[in-house]
Amino acid sequence: MKQRNTGWIALFLAPTCIIFLLIFAIPLVMVFATSLFDYRLLPRTFEFIGFSNFVKLFTQDAKFLPVLKNTVVWIAIHCVLHVALGTILAFILYKKPHGWKFVRVTYMIPNIISQSAIAMIFLNLYNAQYGALNSLLKAIGLEHLQHNWLFDTATAFPAVTMTWFIFAGYTTTLVLAQCLSTDESIIEAAKIDGATSFQIDRLVMFPLVKRMIGTTVIMAATYMLQMFSMIYITTGGGPGVSTANLPLYLYTTVKANNYGYANSIGVVIIIVGFITMTLINRLFGMNKED
Amino acid sequence: MKRMFACLLSLAMLLALVGCGGSSSQPSNSGDSASSKEIVIKYPTFQVGANTAAPVVAKLVEEFNAEYAGKYRIEVEDVPGDANYADKIKVMISSGELPPVVYGGGYKLLDLALQADLVVDLTDAVNADPEWKAMYNETWESADCRDGRIYASSSEGQLIGYYYNKELFNQAGIKPAETWEEFFDNCDRLLAAGITPLAMDTADGAWCTQLLLGAMIAGSGDEGLEFMNTSYPTNYNIPSVVDAIAKIQKLYQTCTTLDANGGAYENAANNFFSENVAMICNGPWMIGDFSDTSKTTEGFSDKVGVATYPGGFVYDAPIEGMFVTKQSDPALEEAGIAMVKFFTSPKAQQTALETQGMVPAGATVEITQTALDAFPLLADFLEQASVCEKRGNTLTGLMVPGLEDTFSAELPNLASGTDTPEQFCQVLTDFATANPVT
Repeated sequence: MKQRNTGWIALFLAPTCIIFLLIFAIPLVMVFATSLFDYRLLPRTFEFIGFSNFVKLFTQDAKFLPVLKNTVVWIAIHCVLHVALGTILAFILYKKPHGWKFVRVTYMIPNIISQSAIAMIFLNLYNAQYGALNSLLKAIGLEHLQHNWLFDTATAFPAVTMTWFIFAGYTTTLVLAQCLSTDESIIEAAKIDGATSFQIDRLVMFPLVKRMIGTTVIMAATYMLQMFSMIYITTGGGPGVSTANLPLYLYTTVKANNYGYANSIGVVIIIVGFITMTLINRLFGMNKED
Repeated sequence: MKRMFACLLSLAMLLALVGCGGSSSQPSNSGDSASSKEIVIKYPTFQVGANTAAPVVAKLVEEFNAEYAGKYRIEVEDVPGDANYADKIKVMISSGELPPVVYGGGYKLLDLALQADLVVDLTDAVNADPEWKAMYNETWESADCRDGRIYASSSEGQLIGYYYNKELFNQAGIKPAETWEEFFDNCDRLLAAGITPLAMDTADGAWCTQLLLGAMIAGSGDEGLEFMNTSYPTNYNIPSVVDAIAKIQKLYQTCTTLDANGGAYENAANNFFSENVAMICNGPWMIGDFSDTSKTTEGFSDKVGVATYPGGFVYDAPIEGMFVTKQSDPALEEAGIAMVKFFTSPKAQQTALETQGMVPAGATVEITQTALDAFPLLADFLEQASVCEKRGNTLTGLMVPGLEDTFSAELPNLASGTDTPEQFCQVLTDFATANPVT
């Protein structure tokens, strides 16, 4: 019986496995393989060069390390501060204060709007000539604080960060759902024992939702590793590379028709992602049993 | 029964997987219509919507479809923005599947497509048509021919100067400059009159700014003029370029709008249409927009003057034309050739001239009195350009592929003063030497 079921299982899994191989696994192997080649369109070149692309990335490319730094910093900000923001809001909302349902719904809205639309909104918000931010500063007598927010080296990075930092709707929703699914009796017991609200949040609720927070941290990390459209539409990675991240840098390298070099950047993205996921899993004990 | 149902279900899923790959028997860029004889030419283009050439392309598509009804039909695919169009075509080149007809423009797509061996040789088709052959002059040949073979057909010339607001100039008491010293003096006088002198930009290749920059380089002397006539330079650390970059930096900081840093062509054009600035660099295709009340106020075209650049320089760059790409269906290639011939014919070029004031590419195409009456600015500009001895290609037209993006990304650093002119030129040099075109 078990042997017969194995056959059926394999048969039904076959389409999924084939799709996985064709769309993900084989291209992944090709990325790794072609990163070892000088692979260009103009002039047409496909020559094995070993790890030269990687050596060039880390030792000769003046743009790569700043771009890598931007990516790592954004991952850290997103995983720590962004998730913390969403978690804090969830911890406030699970106590069901007045209007908590309204806040839960409206806070989610920016996360369901297209990233391109949000990028266009911020592009206009930050516009040095007619943007709402500079206009507001001028209206309240703070004209000296006006900046070309997206294209001044001093303000570009934080300005781009703000386009996604505060929108922690997914984190809030997931953590809140986990909080609300917690047995009320645990909270009641803690209250009977004399625990304050903060103590309940820190010592009772937080350990119970830790795995869910770990999941949102993983989501935050993968989101930042893929981040492209927001940066492309707002600053294009500029000024210089002060707001460029690895996916955008890969894209500009592809546009220069240097595919081998672009794939080496892709390999770095994969390795950064792997390290990040491993660290998050260990930190939150995602693989441990309760 | 249950087992049979399960078998059929898994088979259906596998077949669906195969179906997702599409058919290899039909070219991916076209299809036969219901009539089974009409060949559909899928034509992605950015010359739609608010683009200045949109009315011309729409008209030509309509006329082509009418003339070839039942045989060929063009289906336009809107691509927002020329930068996105160039990126799309480059991706398609690398995948080996291009639409039947590609508009080369100033995006260096022909050479990329030739490298990938995706371009149809038009030599025999052109030679078989005396009228088509007669349009090829030296400029066309430099843009559309390689190793004596014809691969593209041009439809528009690229004579470029700059436009100015006559009213704002009068307010400042100035006239178009004949030297660069006079040009900068004009900027100071405009500022003194409370008028922002220039529309500039940094994004999307910084079209307006790079025209101004290139003209400054060309006007600086023999070295600069030679630079502006050299394809794919790898060294930007030459005195004429560094000096011009320094001037551009000063203009960004004192003579343009706040949104120039980070702004694209649309922002620059809007500032000119809104009379926020006095001057903008652009080509004759913009002339039609001055009368477009959806973009500017009624009567704005009467306020606009046109000039060639100080020092007697005008851009007269060959602009790559449309080319036909290799398809699995020879009939589709023939359809593409018919489309290219139609879109670049003398009649089509006159349509563009009379509709939008676009300078024709063909030496044999008459500048009609209709066009000159409709666009007196064009008449004025052509007369001024005819006496210009110094000519060259656009700065971004000369750049190695990909450098335009680096140029655009680095300009905000130059504009804000983070980069010195020397550092900016070094960034360009580093990229060009790392990605040379051989």
